[in-house]
Amino acid sequence: MFISKAHLIEVFGTKLALNLKSEVSKTYLSYVWWLLEPALMVTVLYIVFAMFLSKSRPDFIVFIMCGKIPFLWFSKSVSNSSNSITSGRGLINQVSMPVPFFPMLVVFQDAFKQSIVFLFMFVFFIIYGMEVSWVWLSIIFVIFTQFLLVCAISLLVSAITPFLPDFKYLIATAMLALMFGSGIFYSYKELLQPRYQELFLLNPVANLIKNYRQVFMDNAQPDWIALTSISLGSILLIAVMTLYFRRTNTVYARLIAQ
Amino acid sequence: MNTAANIMELDHVSVRYKSRRSFFRHTYFTALDEVSFSIIKGETLGIVGTNGCGKSTLLRVLANIYGIDAGQVNWYCRQVSLLTLALGFDPELSGRDNAILSGMLLGARKADVLDKIDEIIEFSELKDFIYKPIKTYSTGMRARLGFSVAVTMQSELLLIDEVMSVGDGKFKRKAEAAMVNKISSDQTVVLVSHSLPQLSKVCDRVLWLNEGKVIMIGAVDEVLQEYECFLEKR
Repeated sequence: MFISKAHLIEVFGTKLALNLKSEVSKTYLSYVWWLLEPALMVTVLYIVFAMFLSKSRPDFIVFIMCGKIPFLWFSKSVSNSSNSITSGRGLINQVSMPVPFFPMLVVFQDAFKQSIVFLFMFVFFIIYGMEVSWVWLSIIFVIFTQFLLVCAISLLVSAITPFLPDFKYLIATAMLALMFGSGIFYSYKELLQPRYQELFLLNPVANLIKNYRQVFMDNAQPDWIALTSISLGSILLIAVMTLYFRRTNTVYARLIAQ
Repeated sequence: MNTAANIMELDHVSVRYKSRRSFFRHTYFTALDEVSFSIIKGETLGIVGTNGCGKSTLLRVLANIYGIDAGQVNWYCRQVSLLTLALGFDPELSGRDNAILSGMLLGARKADVLDKIDEIIEFSELKDFIYKPIKTYSTGMRARLGFSVAVTMQSELLLIDEVMSVGDGKFKRKAEAAMVNKISSDQTVVLVSHSLPQLSKVCDRVLWLNEGKVIMIGAVDEVLQEYECFLEKR
């Protein structure tokens, strides 16, 4: 009400840039961590499954990267945004501003870091010797669909946690379940009976991971119907959450002050 | 009942907090109880009251930060700023970055803050420290920076909660003078303070709040006299 839209966007952009700057200045290796963390995760999975459990398959490292890296993006953004409104207490109690500012700040901050990770992932695939084709360009749509999904789920969990602080423990468990249920280190086609495969793909994260692999490993177009459905579902949830926040904006300031 | 001179009107506004005692049991606490008054454009309205009487809640209602449970608030202005020192400060960032962000959060556009940044830095007397992360600042330095940003910002309606002055010695006097100067201008101000001499110096009207209710609103001397009697009796 007291800040115009243009002003709000300006504040958002400045805060985003400064948050990234601040995050970087906290560690010795600063920017390197954005890449090092996913690289370490992928390495651990690779060592466990390819070497210790001998579950290797051709291009297993690419297989793992297509699963783990998008999954990390999703799980980090959702867990980080779950606490975002409560940690924005200092501002929410002093300035009249839309509450979704805080989860969206987390989402954009993570998306920025993720874009660099993706860039290095593509370069790695090329150096590794994957066959590059025009189909790879369609990955932009897969990434964008995931971005919409991340926005939608982040808004949802950020709205719940201030009312139910215990919810954040549930998110940690849900993310673990999601990791096992999204086919990061196994292929659902080999593991599941055909009648369960469709059910498995109803999990949007699993479906997106399937599409990342389809584009990079099979050089095939992504499943457009699935992408459209996930996008529309996400946009619907974003719209519902926007309306919800518009109606309850001033409730949150009082809620987290108590 | 809006007259052109009013910048804001409160009509029987109530706010009550709910606090959880156990899983299903809640207790309620009424912070504001049917508060009605209006703020006239250009005036400086002081608010007095003992601790916990609802002053801070009232300022947050005026700034549209807290929603209300009953009554109505009408705004006839576009911008209201609650003046907060060190708003949104991030210890990892430099004093300059923090000043820019803080100014923007207080309601200024980025270009306006950048225009005033030299003025802010000079007022704060931080010199080269302004480029160092504020985690290296002393409490006094941080307060000086926060105050310098706040005193430079403008808003149609300025809400000030106990931030008349900071620092020590020379800076304290400078800060007080700058704030008094700001308040005495055409700026509409709502000022919460425990310092009665300060209030009588700068206010046009005073509102006395007790246990969430408006006890009195009117001429400065009249209200402050009654309030002083009340304080002595307690």
